[in-house]
Amino acid sequence: MRRPSWRVEPSPAVGGEATARALAYVPDDGRFALYNDYAAGVSVLTLTAPSPDEGGPAALWRADTDRTRPHALAPATEVDGYGIFTFPYGPISMGVPEAGRFDVRTYGERVLNLVPVGGFKSRRIRETVVGRPVADAALLVERMAGNFSASHVAAFLEAAESASATEVPTAERWVRGLAQELQRIYNHVHVIARVAEAASQNVGLAQTHALAEEVLRVQGAFFGHRWLFGALLPGGPARRLDAADRHRLAERLGHLAEEFERLWLLFLESRTFIDRIQGTCPVSRAEAVGGGAVGPTLRASGVAWDDRLRIPVAPYNDLFVPLPHETGGDALARLIIRAEEVRASFLILEQMLDRWATASTGAEPAGSPVAPGRGIGRVEAPSGDLVYDVRVTAGKVDALQLRTPSRANWTVFAAGMRDAVFTDFHFAFESFGFVFAETDG
Amino acid sequence: MPSWIQQSASRGILTSRYPKDAAADEEVSPTGRPPLPVAGVASLPAARDSCPVGAISDTAVDQGKCIRCARCVAAGLTFTGPVEAATRSRDDLLRISSGPVPSPAAPPPLARLGRSLHLFLVDVGSCNACNLEVLALANPYYDVQRLGLFFTNSPRHADVLLVVGVPTPEMAEPLRRAYEALPGPKAVVAVGACPISGGAFAGAPGLVPGLAEIVPVDVFVPGCPPSPTAILDAILKLNGRDRAARGGP
Repeated sequence: MRRPSWRVEPSPAVGGEATARALAYVPDDGRFALYNDYAAGVSVLTLTAPSPDEGGPAALWRADTDRTRPHALAPATEVDGYGIFTFPYGPISMGVPEAGRFDVRTYGERVLNLVPVGGFKSRRIRETVVGRPVADAALLVERMAGNFSASHVAAFLEAAESASATEVPTAERWVRGLAQELQRIYNHVHVIARVAEAASQNVGLAQTHALAEEVLRVQGAFFGHRWLFGALLPGGPARRLDAADRHRLAERLGHLAEEFERLWLLFLESRTFIDRIQGTCPVSRAEAVGGGAVGPTLRASGVAWDDRLRIPVAPYNDLFVPLPHETGGDALARLIIRAEEVRASFLILEQMLDRWATASTGAEPAGSPVAPGRGIGRVEAPSGDLVYDVRVTAGKVDALQLRTPSRANWTVFAAGMRDAVFTDFHFAFESFGFVFAETDG
Repeated sequence: MPSWIQQSASRGILTSRYPKDAAADEEVSPTGRPPLPVAGVASLPAARDSCPVGAISDTAVDQGKCIRCARCVAAGLTFTGPVEAATRSRDDLLRISSGPVPSPAAPPPLARLGRSLHLFLVDVGSCNACNLEVLALANPYYDVQRLGLFFTNSPRHADVLLVVGVPTPEMAEPLRRAYEALPGPKAVVAVGACPISGGAFAGAPGLVPGLAEIVPVDVFVPGCPPSPTAILDAILKLNGRDRAARGGP
């Protein structure tokens, strides 16, 4: 039995242990604070945030930020000199197919400083969900980031359910786990495809892109929606997961796993591909921990931390979850982690489908919780640790605050891009798996 | 030692024969099709309250608002509408529920450009799913280059803007400028429920409740997100090479 290695505390501890922890994140309204101490193997979430003078890094403390207006997502360092200018890249460009901007300080070739700018596509989800029933709010939450929808919904429902002390059937958690692992495979394969595209590995791109499409089709066939929208909510598209379906799903996943294995070995043998990403956008262990990096980025920089292993809930407390980690910290290390995690997810899915019969199947999905309260939901999304803080009264959402993996990783991306050249940009950017949509919310 | 060439050859041809043949079922998930009332329009008033975005009225299902959440399935609707659900007018999106949409009399807006169109994707506030569905058109399963469709890196080289997302005030001006940068003749496709009606975000404070308030829209593709096949059909409607124009069933 694993012990929980993260916990929630009512307020920040003063002195002693608190000084050993790195303050990792405080949201706009300061409703919570997240401290990580990976050396001691703990992550502490406090429900009252410290004031700025109590030691929050200024860059992460942005109580006055209007998220609906363009704002810097990472601290800028002043660089000035002969011929240095700011080159704005975005918010409309095909290279980054999302609305976001990068302010690059440069004299022409070298990136002296890079500041990601978000706020172009805030759909006001945090504000709009207030006052809506949990199930209706979840429709907006899954659109926080379409390609991470299962993780967002799982974390949100986890928070809302714990806020109202609703008992969740184990079978429901298993379905959520299944959806999340499928989506993790899609996202990691998609990231590999995007990096292959940047490296002009055209055959590799086509084959990987096809594999990503096949995962979407599996999601569509078994959850009724290619992006799993509505699939985890009461009354969503039918989840056809009887014995025959599980058999067919296992068979299709087996083919995809073999296919992925062949592709990844070919990528590893391609010197031009490896050369291009080796040493690109390096993030040291100290930078990753200090900058609050999460997920594959953190694991690629030498910190073996995964919420699936640290939070002992079904189905992960019952399965073998491999924990790959690398020490390179560059785009190559991040890609290797992602490839290893694709393998790991196939393994987890295989275990789940094998043992599905023993997980109490057939239970009805939980209804909307009713009692008032505040809850935290924390899951490992494809790009890293995702935290939801939800307040619920009479089955309706009172307030919602979250820390997304994309938001957490901008700082180290910006730091890693310093002294890179323009052509490194896409390899670096894609290797993190950023989604502007969830950053802006 | 296996090579990319062997790997590629071992997979054979993946590419769909759409639009020559109809889209196969596995290409379109259930929610990739518009919902229709099983028992006809008369059953709609009873189903109205099941819709969280108000897409169901007493007389029609507004496909431009539908976010495919499937809550109406319990109230007697099924996802059995046509895959090729894109229309050239906003009003026709309401007619899908009551039968085939009549073909517009006006010629396709980009017929003059012949077979080849260049496409530029503009995100004005999406959840990223529509972006990825548009990019999926380039994967071997859809391979739109075979149809003379190409993605460009600049609006200056494009004929078509594919707009995804609900327009935020911050993106209205960049979108307008991207549209102006397109050389004529040009066209705009509203991809998904968000640019058509605001979709799941309809009514959120500060958002523009429809792309048509910023730039003229030539084709509307319903869906949340629309399947790549539906987006492909919408693009082909611009130069009159879609399946309906080819006389497909």
